[in-house]
Amino acid sequence: MLDALTHLAGGFAEVLTVYNIVLIFFAGMIGTVVGALPGLGPSAGIALMLPLTFGMPHASGLCLLTGVYMGTMYGGRITSILINTPGDAPAIVTAMEGYPMMRRGQGGLALGLSAVSSFVGGFFGLLVLIFFAPVVSSYAIYLGAPEYFLLMLLGLSTIILLAGEDLVKALLMACVGVLVSTFGSDYISGHIRFAFTPELIEGIDFVAIIIGLYGLGEVFYNLEQRTRLDLGRPSFNLREYIPPASTLKESSGATLRGSVIGTVIGILPGAGATVATFLEYALERRISRKPEEFGNGAIAGLAGPEASNNASVPGSLIPLITLGIPGSGGTAIMLGALIMFGLQPGPLLMIKSGDVVWAMIAGLVLANVFLLFSNVLLIPVFVNLLRSVQGHLASVVVALCVVGAFSLAYNSFNIWVALVFGILGYLMKKCDYPTGPFILAVVLAPLAENYFRQSIMLGQGDWSIFVDRPISLGIIVAMVATGILGLVTKRFIKSRKPAARA
Amino acid sequence: MKRLLKTMGLAITAVAALQSAPLHAEEFPARGLEFVAGYGPGGGHDTMLRAMAKILKEEGIVEVPINVVNKPGGSSAVAMGYLNARAGDGHYLMSITSSHITTPLASNIGLDHTNFTPIARLGIDPELLVVNAAGPYKSIKDLLKADKVLNVGGTATGSIEHIVSIQFQKKTGKEINFVPFQGDGDVVAALLSNQLDFIVTNPGTARDFIEAGNFKALAISTDERIDALPDVPTFKEQDIDITLSLYRGVTAPADISEEAKAYLTEKMTELSESEAWKTGYMEPNAVVGDFITGEEFEAYLAENEKLYRETLTELGILK
Repeated sequence: MLDALTHLAGGFAEVLTVYNIVLIFFAGMIGTVVGALPGLGPSAGIALMLPLTFGMPHASGLCLLTGVYMGTMYGGRITSILINTPGDAPAIVTAMEGYPMMRRGQGGLALGLSAVSSFVGGFFGLLVLIFFAPVVSSYAIYLGAPEYFLLMLLGLSTIILLAGEDLVKALLMACVGVLVSTFGSDYISGHIRFAFTPELIEGIDFVAIIIGLYGLGEVFYNLEQRTRLDLGRPSFNLREYIPPASTLKESSGATLRGSVIGTVIGILPGAGATVATFLEYALERRISRKPEEFGNGAIAGLAGPEASNNASVPGSLIPLITLGIPGSGGTAIMLGALIMFGLQPGPLLMIKSGDVVWAMIAGLVLANVFLLFSNVLLIPVFVNLLRSVQGHLASVVVALCVVGAFSLAYNSFNIWVALVFGILGYLMKKCDYPTGPFILAVVLAPLAENYFRQSIMLGQGDWSIFVDRPISLGIIVAMVATGILGLVTKRFIKSRKPAARA
Repeated sequence: MKRLLKTMGLAITAVAALQSAPLHAEEFPARGLEFVAGYGPGGGHDTMLRAMAKILKEEGIVEVPINVVNKPGGSSAVAMGYLNARAGDGHYLMSITSSHITTPLASNIGLDHTNFTPIARLGIDPELLVVNAAGPYKSIKDLLKADKVLNVGGTATGSIEHIVSIQFQKKTGKEINFVPFQGDGDVVAALLSNQLDFIVTNPGTARDFIEAGNFKALAISTDERIDALPDVPTFKEQDIDITLSLYRGVTAPADISEEAKAYLTEKMTELSESEAWKTGYMEPNAVVGDFITGEEFEAYLAENEKLYRETLTELGILK
């Protein structure tokens, strides 16, 4: 307990420089804007920012990425409330209660209240992250290749949870992801696979893939759909953004329940923010004494889900930094970023690179505070910012994508890679194939493959290495449980979820 | 759909605009030098070249400006292509290590070390045989007496660590099972948690753990003991004939003028003799100074290639 606080203090010591503070502040702002823009969610935000982190100290780079991640959770609610267009999937529920409040003339209150509950949710999730993560990671040294293999498999099995509506489509995309991940040199056999040009010897650049998939792909899709954002000119009284004590008191129960649900769902691999918001919304509606208010601007229906989507961010970082398992599209990209920084994700991350991880956590605490104030006080700024980019969104994103892809290796090859995956991303979105399983497979499949082969080699050909070790046996049991849980919750969500697509 | 195509067209035009044109010159050095790193910023190649550029300037060895550029991709294949396109121009110097030999062997890039002008080998990275200090093995003799096939860890199949392990098996007759890992960190972690009997790694990786008492080095792959680890006996001292190290050197494009070659060789010699280079680069990176130039370096590269080719063919990686 005390140990965690000492580490956290060390993290703050690293983060509290003018450079980092300014960086985190802007990361939150950028995240808020990206989150607010329909079509661009947490994955796109992190993907677009990734090239900027090259050349930064690792701690600053990670603070930037997590700041953007957290920011998107704040941002999604703005367009939900103002124009009934959720900025990203976790903000769908917010629109259901926030927009009716807006029409009633309580838009300022809805924005202010949801900012406060977002802050509380994020803060609760962070507390759990700070005290829970070191406990998990302290057992890490006992893990070897067989355990890592099973952990990766556990991560891959979350494809069932990320699958969306159609499991067959998800598995198909996972297979494509596995195929993509096999390009390049294989250090275990020493052979090089599918290197049609020398640029492919080291494999297809992961960042180029996600820039294409989430950046260009979204742009192509939105162009075809002719999605236009029109904010109009909403007017507010600044005083309304600060919610009165009575409203805060009324919403406190929902906010706390949302925080707990968001954190727990965040920790569960594969579930993530969207699922958390739907579960929390359903819970609030069930226990409410005035269920008829839901859909017409219920305070609890707004505050609870907003708390839960923010709480899920630190929650989903727990399996990422302690076990190397990403629980969502956003954390899958973070996992790729860690690998790129040369920080081996997995159970040893907290031990080998603890200073960087704690600095990132400290940065996230700071980002959450900044975001509360900027989202209460700077709402007019955001609205104007959104209004100024709304007409040029496609060009801005394409420019960011091309420059980002070029900067990966300072050559044009990766721009073509991004374009290819942009077209793939467009087709996937158009035909309703989920991207989560694809990304998860790209990241995890090579790790799973290599750890598997290492395990068999360490066992000198004997498969019993997987069941002889108690930890690995335990993971096998957990894996079977996840599979069953996944199928059950999927059915549950399907029956609960209102017509929206997650 | 029309707008979609338009945007795609925009992206394609942007790609085309980013291609650059090469430069040419007459006298030597007619302009600044360019150091080419085949890997990204912050990697081993990049660090060496940037340290080199800094010391060459600060010590006044080179008067003209030096620019370090990164041409990452394809395990140095991209940089080799870049340098090859500048044949005849001595203003370019590329850092090389084992991938300069292994990349051409493993893939079909149409270039190898003979397409360049080797200038100097600046130093070598020896290989150590390392065991967990808390484990049952205290010497090479203990390893040879062990009543099982030994699990040995190192980076990648076909890496120098792998080749040293195979040599160990050949020269001692003790059967080993080589397990490749992705990086030095993973190898160290696996030895720490007792999953391996020994590892083959370089001093830069193992030194901290040896000093902390976690690991013990039983042999080193140099001709003589090195200053940084005076207590570690060589393989040779223990009647195992293994002398094999990773090298760090620089090479220039093919067909450069004699004048340019002499200039570059002289500057590298001066660099290797400077105190700033020894304390600023060699010692912190645990590189052993073993400086050779020109033809001697060329012969070393040829010999190196032969060894890799033979071992990789034996392993079935090359056909």
